[in-house]
Amino acid sequence: MLQGFFEWMGALAISQAIGASIWIYPLVQAIHLVFLALFAGGIIIVDLRMLGYGMRSKPVYQVARDARPWMVIGLLGLILTGVPQMMQNSTREYFSEFFWYKMYLLAFGLIFLVTIRRKMTQAAETTTATKVVAVCSMAIWTGVTMAARLIGLFT
Amino acid sequence: MAELMMPLRNVFQWVSEFPSSIAIRESLFVSPYLTVSHVISMCLFAGLIVMMDLRLLGIGNMSSPFSEVQRRLFPWQMLGMGLSSVTGLTLAFSDPMRFYVNIFFWTKILVMVLAGINALAFHYITYNSVVVWDSKSTTPLGARLSGALSIVLWAIVIVSGRLIPYNWFQN
Repeated sequence: MLQGFFEWMGALAISQAIGASIWIYPLVQAIHLVFLALFAGGIIIVDLRMLGYGMRSKPVYQVARDARPWMVIGLLGLILTGVPQMMQNSTREYFSEFFWYKMYLLAFGLIFLVTIRRKMTQAAETTTATKVVAVCSMAIWTGVTMAARLIGLFT
Repeated sequence: MAELMMPLRNVFQWVSEFPSSIAIRESLFVSPYLTVSHVISMCLFAGLIVMMDLRLLGIGNMSSPFSEVQRRLFPWQMLGMGLSSVTGLTLAFSDPMRFYVNIFFWTKILVMVLAGINALAFHYITYNSVVVWDSKSTTPLGARLSGALSIVLWAIVIVSGRLIPYNWFQN
């Protein structure tokens, strides 16, 4: 069903233009990783606090409030540099199992982020619940990153 | 220049002939695992370095004094650095001659050294006056400069690291 959509996307003039240049795609890929670091920083600093580590002298909600704008900028940057990669390589991505692992896990991670994790980051203290959520959050984003890196290595 | 580099080239050549180096190089799965682990540990290191740099710049994590952010994040930054160093060095160990001729590899090494110098300079100069500006919303110029430099330099490290597979400048 989606194959047609991916073929259409790959045939777009902009996708062709990205593919025609030898340096645009690698550079977009590299900048994607810089935004990944920013996003990861904004996630990890809060997850560590929910586990009772890191910024322990401030309540969880304060650490989360401080980190949120940077996490959002990181996420926007990731999307902005991720979509062109998908467009340029659309048919390879469509047939890559790791691409789909990444997308399913990413969708799950984003829903988790704005629902359960968001709720938990309003806590003041570390509890069993915040610990469980922090471990889940780290596991999900580690999984997304692993699958993402493997798209390029195993297709 | 080529002659000056010979001893270094010989070291890389020598390492590339170790049976352990050859074994990793010829394995299908070890280097993908190492690459993935390198990216994950980079996130821990660079992510928390950036969180601290934003506080240095006076634009992020402002509800805590700088020394607090630095002290609390330091062990995790070091864990990230340790893991990314081990995975990175093992990757280099597994295929030294591929990296020896790669301009992005050497750019990455050089810029990492510069980022290290920046961190040390901050620690031994600007950090001495931390009690004066620790809780202030505006940090001194030296601190902002260190923070900005750190972000820029580590971003260059990440970008040049990712560009290593693209050997445009090789014959």
